[in-house]
Amino acid sequence: MAATDRRPDAPISALVVDDDGLRIEGRGDFAVNVVFGEQRVLSFWLERDTVARDGTRFFAWPAQLKRFLNGAVTVSLRSPVDGSTWISADAVLGDGQGVVAVVDGQGRPLGMDKSMKLHRLFGDSDRTAMEPLAAALDDVLAALERAGVQPFVAYGTLLGAVRDGDFIGHDSDADIGYVSQHAHPVDAIRESFALQRRLLAMGYRVQRYSGLGLKVLVREGESSWRGLDVFGGFLRDDMLYLMGEVGHPFRSEWLHPRGTARLGEREVPVPAQPEHLLEAMYGPSWRVPDPAYKFTTLVSTQRRLDGWFRGLRTGLEVRWRRFRARSEPVATAPSTFAAWAHAQSPAGACFVDVGCGRGLDVVWLAERGDAARVVGLDYFAPDLRLAERGVGAAAGEGRVVRDRVELTWLNLAEIRSVMETIARLSRTPGPRVVLAHHVLDATEAHARRNFLRLARVLTREGGRCFLQVQVAPTARSRAWRLRALDRDELAALIAAAGGTIEHELLTSELEVGLADPEDEGAAAPAIMRMVVSWHR
Amino acid sequence: MASVTRVVRNRLGGGEIAELRERVASLEAEVQECRQLNIRLAELCDVVAELLVPMAERDEAATAAALDRFRAELGDPTR
Repeated sequence: MAATDRRPDAPISALVVDDDGLRIEGRGDFAVNVVFGEQRVLSFWLERDTVARDGTRFFAWPAQLKRFLNGAVTVSLRSPVDGSTWISADAVLGDGQGVVAVVDGQGRPLGMDKSMKLHRLFGDSDRTAMEPLAAALDDVLAALERAGVQPFVAYGTLLGAVRDGDFIGHDSDADIGYVSQHAHPVDAIRESFALQRRLLAMGYRVQRYSGLGLKVLVREGESSWRGLDVFGGFLRDDMLYLMGEVGHPFRSEWLHPRGTARLGEREVPVPAQPEHLLEAMYGPSWRVPDPAYKFTTLVSTQRRLDGWFRGLRTGLEVRWRRFRARSEPVATAPSTFAAWAHAQSPAGACFVDVGCGRGLDVVWLAERGDAARVVGLDYFAPDLRLAERGVGAAAGEGRVVRDRVELTWLNLAEIRSVMETIARLSRTPGPRVVLAHHVLDATEAHARRNFLRLARVLTREGGRCFLQVQVAPTARSRAWRLRALDRDELAALIAAAGGTIEHELLTSELEVGLADPEDEGAAAPAIMRMVVSWHR
Repeated sequence: MASVTRVVRNRLGGGEIAELRERVASLEAEVQECRQLNIRLAELCDVVAELLVPMAERDEAATAAALDRFRAELGDPTR
């Protein structure tokens, strides 16, 4: 449908709205707010975020928005700086019924943040709806202060406080930062561990994202939690590194002593000269509103922050995304691998299933009745909870003895988690049988080495380690996001960890019951089974 | 022979630059490996302070309590 209204001096001269997206004629690259009626729905940059199509700039509707696009709508493109309308157009989208309403289940407006995720945004909420967040922010700031660091509001929250004295309308969360008293990454990480302990002792739930990044969860109402991100940083040789995105020349007097700024109805702590941190976060044009802002963090800064602090939660975000979208493949029956390992193990063994997932093999092993103990370990909390339910049901039906089954969280990428697991399990009676069914091919090199460290200690008193990995890609391995390992590299890794491969078997997905005959690659020699020991 | 080849390639242009590019890429990878030691070292210090010390004291109850507390403090998401 043709544009219905246009301001003569607008940088945009034509707008067509249809089911695919927006076709825009305009010159230059600048931020644009897309408004349905009077509700801002999203923002983008006219050139950066669009593609050229038939002489116009084409912006495709984000997938998350599409389900809302049914009915009549007036779409306006507005300036994020002064809110004036450049152009607007009427359209009838999708099934054409009613009017387009981008709202949640309770009819409350939703909008997209700068990462193109759909949220209830601050600008669409009234003051009372903002109160729980403001209270949570106050609460966590005070807790951090008590825990011994000097927190300040950071990123979008700092920007809103300094620029507008309030939360930013197109934002959906609140961020906190602090700068370590230490100048070395190791010491800053240790301080962060101590900080986490103090917060836990105060009764907060805390999740760790990196060596210097935490999320503090605050209860909001009966059953919901609000997580506030706490970004740690450190200052060294007049450079500030702050988790998230910052690596910038900086002086300590720009941070301390902290001042305060207005944030809605409250005062919040801010760095001594917040404009320097804002420039480090958003560049010299931080004063100009840009709801479609994309960080332009230097590759060198990204590399530094990655190298020093990240790598503890590799793959977890993808797991959660796939879990929420219900697009993760799941095992529906115990593996033949468990049966294969069980047949070669003595009665009275303690089975340790690393990467137990939803616990089908744990239950199967416990059901045999000849194991002294079955331990399931996994890093994905939803799977562990489902495993817990499965074990509970089996115990309820008398199929397993509940006391002989243990399900525990283990993160192979985190040395502390591996060491704690080793220390705890080496106190249970053996011999121990360590199982890893498609774990080494689902994780990265550092975690593989940690797995072998764990297997070595747990099996050295007469136990054994059973492995199954992908050694060639197949349709199934791609669906499960497994990375085929090179057999010789794996053997070298095992040798380096002091292990001996007692037995190995190259087989196929069909042979081990993971694929049907008609599946692509089912009969290919793509699966390797190994028995490894560290006998003294 | 190898050095003659290199000289000829460099004279023709590009050889030395390509070699330097490769060297920079491998140096970057090596620097990154060194950076990654920071978090491992911090983790190991933490294990020593929080777990090995109670174990070295050979106090069974204290060791069990230290293990429980240590896992809880890692931020076990199932808790």
